[in-house]
Amino acid sequence: MQEKIEQIRNTAEAEITSATSIAELENTRIKYLGKKGELTLVLRGMGSLPAEERPVVGSLVNKARDFIEEKLSQKEREIKEKLLEERLKTEKIDITMPSKKVELGSIHPITQIINDVKEIFIGLGYEIAEGPEIELATYNFDKLNTPPDHPARDIQDTFYITDSIVLRSQTSPMQARVMEQQKPPIKIICPGTVYRSDSVDATHSPVFHQIEGLVIDKHISMSDLKGTLELFAKKCLGEKTKIRFRPHHFPFTEPSAEADVSCFVCGGKGCRVCKGEGWIELLGCGMVHPNVLRNCNIDPEVYSGFAFGFGVERIAMAKFGIDDMRLLYENDVRFLKQF
Amino acid sequence: MKTSVEWLKEFSDIDVSPKELGDILTMTGSKVETIESKGNDIKNVVVGKILEIKKHPDADKLVVTKVDVGEEILQIVTGANNIKENDIVPIAKDGSELPGGVKIKTGKLRGIDSCGMMCSVGELGLELEDYPGQIEHGIMILPASLEKDLGKDIVEVLQLKEDIIDFEITPNRPDCLSVEGLGRETAISLGKEFKNPRSNLSKMQIETKPEIKGLTVDITAPDLCYRYVARMVENVKIQESPEWLKRRLKACGVRAINNIVDITNYVMLEMGQPMHAFDIESIKGKHITVRRAKQGETITTLDDEERILDETMLVIADDEKPVAIAGVMGGLNSEIEKDTQTVVFESAVFYGGSIRKTAKKVGLRTEASSRYEKGLSPENAERVVNRAVELVELLKAGKAVEGKIDVYPIKQKKTVIPWSAERINDLLGIQASKQEMIDIFTKLEIQVEGDTAIPPYFRQDIEQEADLAEEVLRFYGYDTLPSTLIEAESTLGSKNKQQKIVDTIQEVLVNSGFSEIYTYGFYSAKDMKKALMDENSDLVRKTIFLQNPLSDDFDRMRTTTIPSMMQTLETNYNKKNMEVKLYELGRSYINEKEAIQKGELPQENNMLTLGAYGENVDFYYIKGIIENILQAVGVNRYDFLREEENHFYHPGRTAKLKVGNDIFAYIGEAHPSLTEQYGITKKVYLVELNIDKITRYAKQNKKYVEVPKFPAALRDIAMVVAEEVEVGTIQKIMEKKAKKILERVTLFDVYRSEKLGENKKSVAFELTFRIPERTLTDEEVNKAMQDIITGLEQEVGANLRK
Repeated sequence: MQEKIEQIRNTAEAEITSATSIAELENTRIKYLGKKGELTLVLRGMGSLPAEERPVVGSLVNKARDFIEEKLSQKEREIKEKLLEERLKTEKIDITMPSKKVELGSIHPITQIINDVKEIFIGLGYEIAEGPEIELATYNFDKLNTPPDHPARDIQDTFYITDSIVLRSQTSPMQARVMEQQKPPIKIICPGTVYRSDSVDATHSPVFHQIEGLVIDKHISMSDLKGTLELFAKKCLGEKTKIRFRPHHFPFTEPSAEADVSCFVCGGKGCRVCKGEGWIELLGCGMVHPNVLRNCNIDPEVYSGFAFGFGVERIAMAKFGIDDMRLLYENDVRFLKQF
Repeated sequence: MKTSVEWLKEFSDIDVSPKELGDILTMTGSKVETIESKGNDIKNVVVGKILEIKKHPDADKLVVTKVDVGEEILQIVTGANNIKENDIVPIAKDGSELPGGVKIKTGKLRGIDSCGMMCSVGELGLELEDYPGQIEHGIMILPASLEKDLGKDIVEVLQLKEDIIDFEITPNRPDCLSVEGLGRETAISLGKEFKNPRSNLSKMQIETKPEIKGLTVDITAPDLCYRYVARMVENVKIQESPEWLKRRLKACGVRAINNIVDITNYVMLEMGQPMHAFDIESIKGKHITVRRAKQGETITTLDDEERILDETMLVIADDEKPVAIAGVMGGLNSEIEKDTQTVVFESAVFYGGSIRKTAKKVGLRTEASSRYEKGLSPENAERVVNRAVELVELLKAGKAVEGKIDVYPIKQKKTVIPWSAERINDLLGIQASKQEMIDIFTKLEIQVEGDTAIPPYFRQDIEQEADLAEEVLRFYGYDTLPSTLIEAESTLGSKNKQQKIVDTIQEVLVNSGFSEIYTYGFYSAKDMKKALMDENSDLVRKTIFLQNPLSDDFDRMRTTTIPSMMQTLETNYNKKNMEVKLYELGRSYINEKEAIQKGELPQENNMLTLGAYGENVDFYYIKGIIENILQAVGVNRYDFLREEENHFYHPGRTAKLKVGNDIFAYIGEAHPSLTEQYGITKKVYLVELNIDKITRYAKQNKKYVEVPKFPAALRDIAMVVAEEVEVGTIQKIMEKKAKKILERVTLFDVYRSEKLGENKKSVAFELTFRIPERTLTDEEVNKAMQDIITGLEQEVGANLRK
């Protein structure tokens, strides 16, 4: 009996070793270990053995089974590995062939700048206000301390719809609208489209975009304005950006300033973008004029505030190196997709 | 405002370069636009005398000259033929430089040494009109009197060196539209003493008379004319002004005419108050009235143009006619002529707003009107007229007549402003001492009396404490302002619902390959016609027009964004961009309910507009984009309905999007006639979606719904239906019949063949049945399937395809 078991074990081992496929292995398994397999039959035939031999033979059969099973699974692993290796070889592809991507679109440079600015000011606790482009002259001028005969009215040529309705020439009317609707503290920025009667050329457009900022609270000072704008300039144009205030005049702020930033292209050394000056005129700003506060029912004895406003196109053009404003409104996809 | 540094020096010492001066003044508020330095580009050009002229041996058109340039005699070959021996001429010596970067070196001309060059007016960068008698193509012949200056630098001899600064003066500072005002700013900015050379003028005691030599003045419009001062000069000799005066006028960009007219311009430039001079003989009745013009009255102005006037305009008139449009321009009828004997100098102050309107109406913005419109001080008027008379005497151009006429009904009030150093420091965020502030005020001639400050007459822009704060900051230094951050209760920054929705929409679109465009909010009749807009449609009738458009191309606000999108697609198509997907977030402007006529604001719609053409773009593609947007912004219940009326779209390939009772988008293929208008031969797909409306329906609060635990039952079904039966209809019947157990319907095939019959199609769906609570039984699903089939048979005559 022992010999027979030994023989089964050896022939099985030989068959397993020579097997080349999973199917062959499976046949071998059935042949020896299946319900009618040779080793199974030995076990079944054990009933005819004397009682004292049964445990011995039983143990031998079990050992042989363990051995064969071990060999089978070992061989199976080998074959699988080999198969996988072959498959991987045949599945090699040319990874330099073009992709099947869904092509991305693009966000217009003007929106990109507006989005950058929004993000910075939301981080500083500002809300975003929006308002009408067709605006009452009262808001565009009168409430902003620019009554009909005010000399400042000739700074900007405004499009009129009627004598009392205009295309807003600035985003500043939103200052008045927000102040009328909201009690201080007020912290808003207002991006929007504005209109001025400028003919189209490389640096002018009758339609352009501005972002207005307004803060009203107790004890707001001009140095807060400078600090805020400095922070904004660093975040928007680069950490090394410096800011410079120059006196200026706007009817709705007093004192007023124009803010220049150190040229973010050359870092202030002087280049084509800054026309060799090292500084780029960025925006107009100042402390909200007491008359404007009064016009909007805010007591200038209690509250003060600052306001600023700048053109988006100018920044977009400088930042992206766009030398002709008309490109922004021509909308050639080959231009748009660069952003 | 242009001025020369030389003139400024009459008012303040200047010990810095023009560039430095410009920088300093810019930082105190007088922004420098440009600095023009003349004479710096001429080097080593000297005065020479021609001693001898001989023919060139080898060239007919050249001569060989000997020129005395002081220390040496130079041989110079020239082709000029306007020179003769003993002429004094400018000589560019070896190594000299001329304007435009031209360098002159010794060389040979046809074999003869030439050690320099004789210069023409043009070669020296000068203008012929400044040097009468000189010719364009020829050497500049200098006066014989310059023989004493042989060898001297031409720049010095002819005083060619001049620095001219052009300032951008803000409209609140008309006082700085004068050399005197700029001189004051210069002195304070440089820390120098303001020389105040015109202080004598206010001290003159000129007697006011009701009439001078028969001349009387009345103001009948005191609301528009605050003061009228006149003085007279007789025995006038009209001649050219002296060089120094002409030079200063030129530096400021004003052309010299004759001594009297030049004096009025000179005084205006120097002191900021426009003046007018006229011949007393031209004043009928010797009686001046400052009055409103009569409707339709005309005057021919000095520029020889006839102007039609109206009742809003102010004129200076004699007993018969207007002789000047007040503050704008004089009339030709009272012009100073060569034989003028007696001149009246007028220095009047008008209401700026009226001058501004008049100048605009008559289309004549002059040096005078641009000063008046900013609001001048009546106090300046008298000293200015005194200055003019002083100059007449200085120039020996005539003799002053005693006395003045001075009509000054309401004196300029002094503004008294309460102020506190503490409040100014608080507003600015600086820590200046009270004394520092007082020092600044004093230099600015602002009188400080305790806690009040009184600005000088020429600073009518200083009205309240904030204005004083600006003055402090200007001279305390804008550049010394510290940077601080707001110390206040913190606020929460955020975007509102619509702003967030717009962000989401952009994200979906960009990820789907759409590029954002920006177009103008206005368009034209031409654009409307091109877009085939029906004249009787609301879109045309509710158009808002501009009163003062740039041109016909931009004369109205767009009521629809389609024409701008089509135009942009055309641009891209013409540039051979073959795959184009664009979107715009822009407004349309609708005059709903005649708002404009009622003085109210019109409706502005925030629109999303899509425009696309290209290989894979069709109706279903674009519909899918919109469905993605709806999903992304949280609009879950909506219907696509067929739209056949909208003229922009193909009647058979267009849907409108309905949510609740609102239609808020059109989606479809552009009408073939529209595409043709824009010369595009591809199919174009368009979407207009109202963002304001979508915002109303978007649900931003998302809630978790359990992922199904139980398996779904899937069934396929193919039905043969008539061609006109729409998939959407079938789907609705299915949903209705299966009640709540039908989770999803997916169309997977539409098939047409002869076997099915004419006008028939087979539509195949995969139906997913499931309820959250348990696994459905076969019986339940079979029952539902049967109900669906029966329903379809009954409602749309569908047959189950077997």
